[in-house]
Amino acid sequence: MANVRVAVRVRPLSKRETKEGGRIIVEVDGKVAKIRNLKVDNRPDGFGDSREKVVAFGFDYCYWSVNPEDPQYASQDVVFQDLGTEVLSGAAKGYNICLFAYGQTGSGKTYTMLGTPASVGLTPRICEGLFIREKDYAPLPSSCRIKISFLEIYNERVRDLLKQSDQKKSYTLRVREHPEMGPYVQGLSQHVVTNYKQVIQLLEEGIANRITAATHVHEASSRSHAIFTIYYTQAILENNLPSEIASKINLVDLAGSERADPSYCKDRITEGANINKSLVTLGIVISTLAQNSQAFSSCQSLNSAASDGGDSGIPSSLSGTSSGVGSSRRQSYIPYRDSVLTWLLKDSLGGNSKTIMVA
Amino acid sequence: MANPPWAEIREKFQAALALSRVELHKNPEKEPYKSKYGARALLEEVKALLGPAPEDEDERSQAEDGLGAGDHTLGLPAEVVEAEGPIAQGAVRLAVIEFHLGVNHIDTEELSAGEEHLVKCLRLLRKYRLSQDCVSLYIQAQNNLGILWSEREEIETAQAYLESSEALYNQYMKEIGSPPLDPTEHFLPEEEKLAEQERSKRFEKVYTHNLYYLAQVYQHMEMFEKAAHYCHSTLKRQLEHNAYHPIEWAINAATLSQFYINKLCFMEARHCLSAANVIFGQTGKISTTEDTTEAEGDVPELYHQRKGEIARCWIKYCLTLLQNAQLSMQDNIGELDLDKQSELRALRKKELDEEERVRKKAVQFGTGELCDAISAVEEKVSYLRPLDFEEARELFLLGQHYVFEAKEFFQIDGYVTDHIEVVQDHSALFKVLAFFETDMERRCKMHKRRIAMLEPLIVDLNPQYYLLVNRQIQFEIAHAYYDMMDLKVAIADKLRDPDSHIVKKINNLNKSALKYYQLFLDSLRDPNKVFPEHIGEDVLRPAMLAKFRVARLYGKIITADPKKELENLATSLEHYKFIVDYCEKHPEAAQEIEVELELSKEMVSLLPTKMERFRTKMALT
Repeated sequence: MANVRVAVRVRPLSKRETKEGGRIIVEVDGKVAKIRNLKVDNRPDGFGDSREKVVAFGFDYCYWSVNPEDPQYASQDVVFQDLGTEVLSGAAKGYNICLFAYGQTGSGKTYTMLGTPASVGLTPRICEGLFIREKDYAPLPSSCRIKISFLEIYNERVRDLLKQSDQKKSYTLRVREHPEMGPYVQGLSQHVVTNYKQVIQLLEEGIANRITAATHVHEASSRSHAIFTIYYTQAILENNLPSEIASKINLVDLAGSERADPSYCKDRITEGANINKSLVTLGIVISTLAQNSQAFSSCQSLNSAASDGGDSGIPSSLSGTSSGVGSSRRQSYIPYRDSVLTWLLKDSLGGNSKTIMVA
Repeated sequence: MANPPWAEIREKFQAALALSRVELHKNPEKEPYKSKYGARALLEEVKALLGPAPEDEDERSQAEDGLGAGDHTLGLPAEVVEAEGPIAQGAVRLAVIEFHLGVNHIDTEELSAGEEHLVKCLRLLRKYRLSQDCVSLYIQAQNNLGILWSEREEIETAQAYLESSEALYNQYMKEIGSPPLDPTEHFLPEEEKLAEQERSKRFEKVYTHNLYYLAQVYQHMEMFEKAAHYCHSTLKRQLEHNAYHPIEWAINAATLSQFYINKLCFMEARHCLSAANVIFGQTGKISTTEDTTEAEGDVPELYHQRKGEIARCWIKYCLTLLQNAQLSMQDNIGELDLDKQSELRALRKKELDEEERVRKKAVQFGTGELCDAISAVEEKVSYLRPLDFEEARELFLLGQHYVFEAKEFFQIDGYVTDHIEVVQDHSALFKVLAFFETDMERRCKMHKRRIAMLEPLIVDLNPQYYLLVNRQIQFEIAHAYYDMMDLKVAIADKLRDPDSHIVKKINNLNKSALKYYQLFLDSLRDPNKVFPEHIGEDVLRPAMLAKFRVARLYGKIITADPKKELENLATSLEHYKFIVDYCEKHPEAAQEIEVELELSKEMVSLLPTKMERFRTKMALT
C-alpha cells in the first residue's frame, strides 16, 4: 500500500556558476533525467573505460526549471499542479502524506518548498489549496479543521519552532508513540488556522526561529531538518453517523548535507566500504552485523500443533517480506539506533501513506 | 647549513598538532578546512627545517613501494634494526611529519596526496619498523593507508595493510614487548617524554583500533564470523584497558549476542549477555537534580532505556533457544517426537564433554574478578537446548523475568511498537512452552494466557497508524483460539462421554477463532470495503492461510441441527473454493501455500459428495 514518488527539479545556474563558466550537463526528457559526464572523452582507446558518456535516470516527474523563457520551463505552478494536488487529494481521502525536499545547500529546496513572495512554493500553495477546498466543497462552515505545527530537528534534538521559549537554553521535546495518535512529539504546539494568511504568518514565524538559532550556533538553519505538519480533519457522515477523516501532511525540508550537520565528524559517519575511524561507531558496526545475520538465519517457521483430520505440517508462522503480517518473527532484537527523523516519519513511510520526494 | 634550533622546530610541530585537532565545525562555514590548511602549512615548514630525506642505499634498490612489490613490502622484518644515529633519527623525524601530512591530506579529502605522504613515511621507516622507536608509527601509517584504500572501495588492499599491521604488532610483542615510543614523543623534549605506562596505553589503543578496522573490513567482505570475532576482541580489549563507558559497552555486547543467537551459537551469546549484565551494573546510580543540564537529564533516561533493551536481548536468547529445541524435536504435525528426544538426550552427553574445549576456543571477556562475576551470571542460565518440560520451564521463567523488566521501560503509552513486540515475545514464550507440556488442559491454559495478554492490545490501537501490528496480533489471537479448539477436541475425544459443556466450549473457541480471522481478512479490504481482486504480495500467504483455516473451522462446528450443519459445510466449501480459484488465477499464490492448496483441492472434491449424502439422509428422516 505504500506509495512513493520521486521527482527531480533542475534549477538555473547560480551567479557564481555562470561566472566560473559552468555548463549545464543535465537534460530532461519526459520522465528521464540525463547527465552528461564531461570527463569521458571520445578517444578511440577509451573503450576500456566503463563509464558512460551519458547516464540516464528515470523518475516519476522531471522538472526543468532552468530558464523561464524555455517552453519546457516548469514553474512553481506546474510543480504544484502535479505534486501539490496529489498531496491534497491524498489528504482528502485520509492518507498521510509526506513530501521531502532533498538536496545540497543552495540546490533550491527552499525555493521549491517555500518560494519567494513573488513566486510562492509548495507549502503555501498546499495550504491555500486546503482552504479553497473547504470553501468549495464543504456543505457547512468549519466542517474541516486545520492545525499546524512546525518543528526542527537539530543535532538529534527536536525543537518547537512555534513556541517562544522563555528560558535561555532551548528545550528539547521528546518523541513518543501513542496507541491512538501514533508517533508524536510530546509538547509540540498545534495551532488552529482558519485562513491562508494565518498559515503564512506561522510559516514566517517558524522560519525566523530557525535563523535566530543560527546566531547561537553558526548558521544552524542549513544544518537542521524542518518538518511543517498540517493536521487535516474532515467531518463527514458515514452511514448517517458523524465520523472523521484525519490525515497528516508532513512537509520536510531536509538538512543541506550531512557534512553540514554539527554532529557530523569524519570519524563518525559510515557509508559503503568506508572504515569508521572512531570506536564510537563500534555499536553501529555490531548492529549491522547482527542485522545482516538475521537474513541468513536458517531457523524457519514453526509448525503448528495440527490435530487429527490429516492436516499435516501447516506452518503457523508466516513467511513473506517484513511488511507482511507475521513475517517469520525476527529471531533477534537489535537495540534502537535510528535517527529521530526516521522515527517521527515512520508512519509516513509505509502502510497507509503516500510519500513524495523532490530532489 | 645552519642547524635550526630544535626548540623552534618542536614548537611549530606542536602548533601544527593543535590546529589538526580543531573540530571541523568550528571553522567558518565557507572555509570548513581552514584549520587543516593552517596545520599543513606549519607541517611543511617543519619539514623544510628538518632538511632533505637521508639517502640510503637499501632504499634506492627497492622497487615500487606501497603494494606494488607484493608480499615483500608488507612482509615481516627478519630482525630488529634500532633507529640509532643521526641519519636514522633524521629519517624517523621526517617520517613523523610525512605521517601527519598524510593524515592531513586525507582529512581534506585529498586522497592521492595523502597516500603519497603515508607511503613516503613507510619507506623512511621500513628498515626500523620493528624497533621500539618506530613500530607504533609504522602501524599507524599502515592503518591510515588501510582506511584510505577502503574509501577508494579497494577493500582487499585495505585488508592487506591492516593485516600487516596486525602481524607486526604480534611480532613486536612476542620478540620485544617493551612499550614502544608514541610517535608524538619524537618532537618532545626529554623531560616531557611519556612514562612506560602511558606508552603502553597508547600503543594498545592503536592495536585495538587495528582490530576494529579489520572487523569492518571483514564485514564488508561478508566474512561475518570473522568480523564478529574481531568485534568481540575489540570489546574484550576495551575492558582490559579500561577504555569504555559501561552503558555503551553493555549495549554493544548485548547487540553482539544477537548475532550469535542468529547463528545458533548460544554459548557465545550467553557469555555476551552475562557480561553485558555485569558491566551495565557498574553504572553508578545517576539522579537528576534541579540544576541538571539538558544533556545530563538525558542520562537516566538512557540508562533505563538501555536496561530495557538488554532485557529484550535476553528475551530473544531464551525464546530462540526454546524454539530451536522445539524445531529439533517436533514431528511432522508439530508434536513432540519421543524418538528425536531420546536422540538429543544421547547427544547431550557428548555436548557436555565438548564444553570445555569449546569454551577455551571462544573469546572470553575479562580476567580475575570480572571473569568470576560473569561466570556467576552464566551458571544460572543453560546454553544447551532444553530437552523436557523442566528444562524448558527454567528458560521460560528467565525469559518471563526479562519480559517484566523490559515492560518497565517500554510502556504502551510512549513506546507502542516496542511494547507490543515484547508482549508478542511473551506470547511466543508461552506457545513454545506449551510444546513441552504434556498435559493438554495445561496447554490450553497457556494459550488462554496468550489470548489474555494479546486481546487488550488491539482494543485501543489506532488501525491507521499500527496497521501491520494490528494484523499480526489479530492473526496470532485467531491462531491461539484455533489451537485451543483443537486441544479441546482432542481432550473430548479421550473422554468416553463428551458432555454438552465441552461441546459448547469447543464451539465458542471456534467462533472466536473465526471472529479474529475475519477481522484480519476485513483489514485487507479497501476504504470501500471491497476485498481486493489481487492480494498484495506482502499479505498473500497470511490471507490464504486465514481463508484456509476459516474453511476448516466451519467444517468443525459441532451442531445437532442438520440444516445448520449443511449450511456450515456450504460455507466451508465456499472458502476452499476461493483458495483453489484464486490460485488458478494467480499462479504465484499457488507457490506460497502448496500444502494448503492440495488439501483445499481435496476438500473441494470431497465436500459436495458429503453434502449430497447429508441432504439425502435429511430427506429420508
